[in-house]
Amino acid sequence: MFLAWNEIKKNKLRFTLIIGVLMLVSYLVFFLSGLATGLASLNREAVDKWDATAIVLNVESDKSLPQSSITTDELNTIDEKETAVLGQLNAIATSGELKQNISLFGINPDEFIMPEVTEGDVFTNENEVIASDTLQDDGFKIGDKLALSSTEEKLTIVGFTDSARFNAAPVLYGELSTFQKVKFGEGSEENKDQINGIVIRGDEVESITTSNNDLEVIEVETFIENLPGYTEQSLTLNFMIYFLFVISSVIVAIFLYVLTVQKISMFGVMKAQGISNGYLSRSVIAQTFLLAVIGVVVGFGLTLLTGAFLPSAVPVAFDIPTMIIYGLVLIVVAILGAVFSVLTIVKIDPLKAIGG
Amino acid sequence: MAIIELNKAKKTFGSGHKQVDAMKETNFTAEKGELIAIIGPSGSGKSTFLTIAGGLQSPSSGEIIINDQNLSNMNEKSRSKVRLKEIGFILQASNLVPFLTVDNQMKLLDNVKKDNMTKKELDKLYEDLGISDLRKKYPADLSGGERQRVAIAKALYSKPSIILADEPTASLDSERAYEVMELLKKETKSNDTTTIVVTHDIRLIDYCDKVYKMTDGILKLQEKQESEELKTS
Repeated sequence: MFLAWNEIKKNKLRFTLIIGVLMLVSYLVFFLSGLATGLASLNREAVDKWDATAIVLNVESDKSLPQSSITTDELNTIDEKETAVLGQLNAIATSGELKQNISLFGINPDEFIMPEVTEGDVFTNENEVIASDTLQDDGFKIGDKLALSSTEEKLTIVGFTDSARFNAAPVLYGELSTFQKVKFGEGSEENKDQINGIVIRGDEVESITTSNNDLEVIEVETFIENLPGYTEQSLTLNFMIYFLFVISSVIVAIFLYVLTVQKISMFGVMKAQGISNGYLSRSVIAQTFLLAVIGVVVGFGLTLLTGAFLPSAVPVAFDIPTMIIYGLVLIVVAILGAVFSVLTIVKIDPLKAIGG
Repeated sequence: MAIIELNKAKKTFGSGHKQVDAMKETNFTAEKGELIAIIGPSGSGKSTFLTIAGGLQSPSSGEIIINDQNLSNMNEKSRSKVRLKEIGFILQASNLVPFLTVDNQMKLLDNVKKDNMTKKELDKLYEDLGISDLRKKYPADLSGGERQRVAIAKALYSKPSIILADEPTASLDSERAYEVMELLKKETKSNDTTTIVVTHDIRLIDYCDKVYKMTDGILKLQEKQESEELKTS
């Protein structure tokens, strides 16, 4: 650490540049991870809020909630205590000038997927809904009457709740009967047992079964991965992040290698004096560690700062534990990059430094 | 007691027809408190002698014993430890680390080795060498002579039993060169170390207790009279 730190102190510009590169790479990694988290929660936060274990859908629906169609009678085929029925449809909600894609959830208010309101009241009557607070950000207010694209029914916002987006659309929570009126119009009475799926909160997904072969028990994580576009999106961003790890490792390796090559004769003299390979190698590793930590911490701060100033339309959400893990990975790959330099140092022949 | 001893040490490079004896069979001993010069033209085998005496390489045959440790069959790692403990190098091009201040050059040795000079001893050494004012300076800010004096301080700081100096006056003018030799002599006597100076500068031999001449890989002790002749020739 002694050599490492003194060298950094003496050659501030050189090392500031390396720190700058590491900072930019970590900034990019953190920002992409924020974007990945943001885009993911855009798709899944309503599902995450259920804190459920599995969802039961029609086999033919191929794990797609809107395509699944079952009846409330199917509850009898499932031997679980905590269940919640769910009807779902997508529509365009209009209130005056405001227009928004929404996802309507029809639920029973006494079951566990009922959200807590953060503002306003819970629905008590038909055609009353609790809306995602992202609609509030868009300008919708409590008391707004929403016209839906697929029906003559009008829904009234009575309250707002947080973390309520499903497959990139804000969710409106309403009574199951509200959902059925929107979906089936005049035929809602005959279809009052029609739902899309049953959400189950249990111990393990393996122990949840249904006696009806037309139904499928899907683990919640699997269900999320099958949301349209979800897996493709997260794979793309994660691939970029993993690639950045490789890039930063290579960048650090090149920088340090060039620095090390410049210092070969100095290392040779030190080795001639009897300073061990171990000491010199530790010094290079310690130096890399210092540079990487400074770069990553500055990049981290810069990311949070940028996040604070971004408009809400940018789907960035910072998941601090994930970012800390990525930061640690960046430090580790930087140190891996230093291994090249260590090998170079070990190979230096002190005899040549003396000119023997 | 001999602090360094070469017994029939020989160094050859290559094999068969191309075999070259860089250093022919050599016997050499040096005692504590001796200042010894090895002179000879370039290519005579001086550097080979220096690197073997300094534990940087092993002889092809024969023995090298430094302070009772036989280095002949040691690997580089063990030799490196002996070098750290027993030998102080003063090299032609200064052996200072460019990004460390004079004080930190010494501190680096504290990091890798115990039993170096105490603060008091170091203060005195700085004073002797006339570099007390340079403690906070980097090598790049020093003159050639100052750098060489710092290099001497660094070599002495670890309290080695042997100091090996490779052309310590090469980059200095005559006056500075004599000054450096004077200092080396003084430190050798006061610290009771053994100093071996390898040089082709025969002006320096006045300061030495013994003078060896290296010619074509053969090391030969010069009598006082012969040395005088060398100088005048």
